[in-house]
Amino acid sequence: MSVLARDPARYVETRIDDETVVMSLDSGDFFSLTGTAQAIWRLLDGTRDRAALLAALAAEYGEPETEIAVEVDAFLAQLDAAGLLRATP
Amino acid sequence: MPQAALALAEPHPAVALMARETRVRRGAAPRAIAGHEVGRDQFLLAGDAYLMRSADGIAIHYRRGEGVTVDAPDDADPRDLDLWLHGSVHAAVAAINGLLPIHASAVVSNGRVHAVSGPAGAGKSTLAAGLGNAGLPLFCDDTLILDVSGEGPVECLPGHKRLKLWPEGVALAGAAAGQLVARDYPKHFAEPAAGSVEAVLPLAEIVFLEPGERPELCPIAAGERIARLQDDHYTAKLFAQAGGLSRRERFAQLARIAARVPMRRFARPFDPARFGEGCRFVATAIRGAAR
Repeated sequence: MSVLARDPARYVETRIDDETVVMSLDSGDFFSLTGTAQAIWRLLDGTRDRAALLAALAAEYGEPETEIAVEVDAFLAQLDAAGLLRATP
Repeated sequence: MPQAALALAEPHPAVALMARETRVRRGAAPRAIAGHEVGRDQFLLAGDAYLMRSADGIAIHYRRGEGVTVDAPDDADPRDLDLWLHGSVHAAVAAINGLLPIHASAVVSNGRVHAVSGPAGAGKSTLAAGLGNAGLPLFCDDTLILDVSGEGPVECLPGHKRLKLWPEGVALAGAAAGQLVARDYPKHFAEPAAGSVEAVLPLAEIVFLEPGERPELCPIAAGERIARLQDDHYTAKLFAQAGGLSRRERFAQLARIAARVPMRRFARPFDPARFGEGCRFVATAIRGAAR
């Protein structure tokens, strides 16, 4: 399984209040991350594949991996579509 | 006995800078800046220079350190010139000198500035007039110049002290309509009911006007605050062009401002019969925010 990571060449981010704001350098689009989305973004540090990401989130939120997998996959797809994600074998 | 002394207060550096840089003289404006010709009804900001040419032949040129040069036909309406000089040109000079112009009217409560922003026709000046009726003095109309250079609260530079209202706005606010703003621009000048303030003051918030079913104020979250700063009318484009920043640098700059400036969305019905209700609602909220 490939390791998932944010692609720092493709975005800039800042933390204001309790919100992480990410801007795509390609499109100029803004993304506002709070709650679970913020946690996923933080964990996409290049040390985890999808399974390890789900395990870390399940531990952090105390919920079964099967229940959070749909939400996580949908968010990863959004990040991928926005060009913010880098997957390395 | 100690010697009596009368010390003159030093003007705020940004106020002194704007006073110096907006000095106007008559003369010939160039046809082009930075190698780009500017045609009628066009403007260009490039580096430390700005050039605009109106549809009716007025040209205004600015270069940092040289001031503003007006090149206008003898029969040009002085009111048109005033509109340009106090609007787009003022904003461009501010932007070239590192200040941030935003498209907003503003009032003062408890020594802090509450700016009202929104697209053209949203009712910024009319709401400012209504807030004047509620006892809040005017800070500026239509263009607010911000000094965002420090680390503390963003500072506001005092601006134009007359409101420009459409006839509908005059009627809504119960204002006494003064002279027409310009020959082909049927807005009227109006004096603010609670007077005005001429001082550099900290910015309390920016309130964005939107239509809604009932008067309602909602805070705007950080990401949207950055986006709002970026989308703010022509003034944001001027600031971005003047800064010559990359997308990455521009984001960092707007994020620093957004972190220091609270913003709220003010939704209210466009029903003239409920104008007073909306004004009282937002005046009460502004007074509450300023405590």
